[in-house]
Amino acid sequence: MTKKSASTAGADLLRIVRINEEIKLVVSVAFKINIMALNAIFLAKRAGTAALGFGVLSNELRVFSQDLRTCMQTLTDLIHASVGEVSVTLKNVRRTRLLRAAVRMAPESSATAALARREAENEVHELKFQSLRKQLKRALEDAFQMVELGGVLAKSAKIEAAYGQSFAGALAQVSGEFDGIVEEIRSSLESLRRSTFVTAR
Amino acid sequence: MKKTETIFQDGSHKWVAIIRDQEKPGYLVDTNEYLVINGKQGLLLDPGGAEIFPAVFSALSAEFDPSALTAIFASHQDPDICSSLALWLEFNPAMRCYISWLWESFIPHFGGDAETFVPIPDEGMDISLNGLPLRAVPAHYLHSSGNFHLYDKQAKILFSGDVGAALLPPGDESLFVEKFDTHIRYAEGFHRRWMGSNDAKRRWCERVSQLDIDMLCPQHGSIYRGADVQRFINWFDELQVGIIQY
Repeated sequence: MTKKSASTAGADLLRIVRINEEIKLVVSVAFKINIMALNAIFLAKRAGTAALGFGVLSNELRVFSQDLRTCMQTLTDLIHASVGEVSVTLKNVRRTRLLRAAVRMAPESSATAALARREAENEVHELKFQSLRKQLKRALEDAFQMVELGGVLAKSAKIEAAYGQSFAGALAQVSGEFDGIVEEIRSSLESLRRSTFVTAR
Repeated sequence: MKKTETIFQDGSHKWVAIIRDQEKPGYLVDTNEYLVINGKQGLLLDPGGAEIFPAVFSALSAEFDPSALTAIFASHQDPDICSSLALWLEFNPAMRCYISWLWESFIPHFGGDAETFVPIPDEGMDISLNGLPLRAVPAHYLHSSGNFHLYDKQAKILFSGDVGAALLPPGDESLFVEKFDTHIRYAEGFHRRWMGSNDAKRRWCERVSQLDIDMLCPQHGSIYRGADVQRFINWFDELQVGIIQY
């Protein structure tokens, strides 16, 4: 039996679209961190030995931004694969409905065997779709762990900023911005985590 | 539920018309499908849209095992012609679909893959159905850029796709044209609008006038037979098409 109806598949497609929008948001924020981190590295250089630790952390934040973008790319790829599967499901829902109607109208015909084949194929797609959903969940958890690390780096940068002597004010402002942005990403990922598409069993 | 009517039979060589579905929703145009059988092989002409597939399938099943269909002939690319293709392929993925070369990369959007399609060159081609020769006759721009009709010389039947089509009023179930003058009124508006070229129409009329035709079978409406075939060709030859006034 096809478990999915056209409206369920349609709702999944809508959820996927929303997830994709959230991912795009995270990717653009991650790009912003990269630019900010580069500026912070220059600032730390100007501050000299007093901001050595801040410089190291800024560089780590830049690496974090790149890793986060790679991670989000994995999520994007999974989302694209999910769109493909949902599209196949939508097409198959229609085909299955029409084959069922053919079986009702010609019960003794070869339509019964064709319907059984179609339903077996639908099951395969359903399993593939469930697997993609699991992979997406795992990739989201990876992104979360990465953001935890980003949060630690941003907070450490805040502490290092305090040692920046005459640059302390400027460094504190930059590290505060880092912290704010990492929190923004965390909140986006939280909302992805809560999405019915991800939580569904 | 659609009805089937055998319109020609000579031994195992048979033409079956699949017509008139009373349960079909009114927003879908009514279509005729034709099944040509020769021995154990069958060729389905303009199999119809996906939504009417169950009705066509069940009617056809009463006459023929659908998994024994070897091919589909699609006169052109419209959804009411062949959007059911993917469903027919569920029964026999090895089934072939004959279509103008012009549409062979468009039709896969309905279903099928590179193996499914047999492109028909512009000048037409011979198709063998278990040894029965059938001829794909050019009908380009009537009303599609790449369009073919199918002629069975032995049965003297020309399947004419949208040429000869009539949009009959509800309740008119006649399989054959009974009163030409009345019937042709239901064909006139359709032909004026859907046929694209007077020049193409003239060439088609000349081409099919040379064929020995007992029955001219369109995809919509009733079948022309006997003297009505030539009557239709003459009427069509005179009709001005491809122009709208607004």
